Amino acid sequence: MDMNANSSEFCVEMQNIHKFYGLVHALKGVDLKVRRGEVSVAIGPSGSGKSTLLRCINQLENISAGRIFLKGELQGFTERAGRFHPLTPGQIAAQRRLTGMVFQRFNLFPHMTALENVMEGPSYVKGWPKEKARAKAHDLLDRVGLGGLGSRYPGQLSGGQQQRVAIARALAMDPEVMLFDEPTSALDPELVGEVLEVIKNLATSGMTMVVVTHEIGFAREVGNHLIFMDQGQVVEEGYPREILEHPKNPRTIAFLSKVL
Amino acid sequence: MTLSAKSVETGIAPVLIENSPVARNVVIPRRHPGRFLAVVILGIVVLQVLQAVVANPNFHWDIYLTYLFAPQVIRGVGWTLLLTVVAMSVAITVAGLLVILRDRDNPVLRGLAYAWVWFFRGTPIYTQLLFWGLFAVLFPTLSLTIPFGPQIITVETKYILTPALAAILGLGFNESAYLTEIFRAGFNSIDRGQAEAAQALGMGQSKIWWRILMPQAMRVIIPPTGNEAIGMLKMTSLVLAIPFTLDLTFATNAISNRLYQPIPLLMVAGTWYLAITSVLMVGQYYLERYFGKGVSVHPARAE
Repeated sequence: MDMNANSSEFCVEMQNIHKFYGLVHALKGVDLKVRRGEVSVAIGPSGSGKSTLLRCINQLENISAGRIFLKGELQGFTERAGRFHPLTPGQIAAQRRLTGMVFQRFNLFPHMTALENVMEGPSYVKGWPKEKARAKAHDLLDRVGLGGLGSRYPGQLSGGQQQRVAIARALAMDPEVMLFDEPTSALDPELVGEVLEVIKNLATSGMTMVVVTHEIGFAREVGNHLIFMDQGQVVEEGYPREILEHPKNPRTIAFLSKVL
Repeated sequence: MTLSAKSVETGIAPVLIENSPVARNVVIPRRHPGRFLAVVILGIVVLQVLQAVVANPNFHWDIYLTYLFAPQVIRGVGWTLLLTVVAMSVAITVAGLLVILRDRDNPVLRGLAYAWVWFFRGTPIYTQLLFWGLFAVLFPTLSLTIPFGPQIITVETKYILTPALAAILGLGFNESAYLTEIFRAGFNSIDRGQAEAAQALGMGQSKIWWRILMPQAMRVIIPPTGNEAIGMLKMTSLVLAIPFTLDLTFATNAISNRLYQPIPLLMVAGTWYLAITSVLMVGQYYLERYFGKGVSVHPARAE
């Protein structure tokens, strides 16, 4: 069998991921499996490694050990006879097109309008003609409820609107998996709902997602699978309702008692 | 509460007219006697200085007017402008390359960029220009040679490195060292999340530089680069070290040496430098406005 592909039914499969920052052991052998159409939610205290785990999926962070497969394809390397050979920057960029990412701080391009932000991927990564990209961007902005605001610059939008543009921008690349890195943590409380609503609709439409969040209610309602992380390890995982209502691990119990 | 379409004066949005209209506060503008006094004093001083200069025979305004548009002077203005624009273009190109090299993983290329900035920033521009002028003396011929093998072509240096080219390379390479630092500051000012967001879209490194980072860095880069361009305008007067003898300062100096009248011709040169600087400043304003899209401090145009 080809060592660079595995024929699993998982959209995302992370095997025994370790990550070191210098001497800091940020991820200590994490496994994660996400089926197609499934919403996997990661919760845990800050510094537990859940964001790092997410950023490893689209190779914004390099892993120190382990393997990541997206749709069965080994990410970042080719493996020959037990040795890993790094892919070229171009190949890594191509692999990143399988995922779309939404950041805590939105990271919209401030020198482009909302519409141009959404068009950027289709036009300059996929090389679509301008009109086709524009039509797609219009559709996506409508879908996140920002139909009339395409000509605004990010600085003229509220936080919640910016985050919805960021979601549209990620969706414009037609990713297989959407990655959300604390998408509502930088928002004013009254704006959290509109963003969660968009993410919820996305989940309902069958999008495969990995969501790092502090919104416990959202995890319960939308998640198919929940992992609780602490100190670089998955401490407990399973059905969200089960874990949130009957946590078994003492660290999960301690965390939930603080946030619920 | 009634909505009265007739009484809406703005014509943009319907305004709800309350039954009891708001009695606005009556605000009496503050008086500023101090400002008024300052303007009067300043006016008197300005008029006095103006009189002292304009009515002063030592300035030889007749000579000033005769030579302001003299052919040698206009030609000098043309050469000075040309040197400024071309040397600045060379500097921007080289600095753009160097700032990318400094970001590379390859330590040799990174070291090259460091060494370039270290050398050209660390030695005086006048000395550098002298050496560009001496180049033809130090290396009389330039030849393309296979290492330890035969020569392919040989040319005399003076036919390639003309004074104009020496001036452009001398000024451009020196300036590139300073611009590299300005560009670096511009790119460093951008949040790391911008490059990450572009990477997450699957964008390649060169497109990230060109489409995402460069337009944002421009906002930080343009004001100090405008400074440098204006500095370059006046630095061109140093090319007499090469010697290059067609620029504005050399032209006005030549005339004043002939007439034994340095002052009116210094005024001629000063007037032209000021005029070109004003034009450059207008250009800078429009560049800043263009790259200020989305975060502009200038009023944004209506969509």
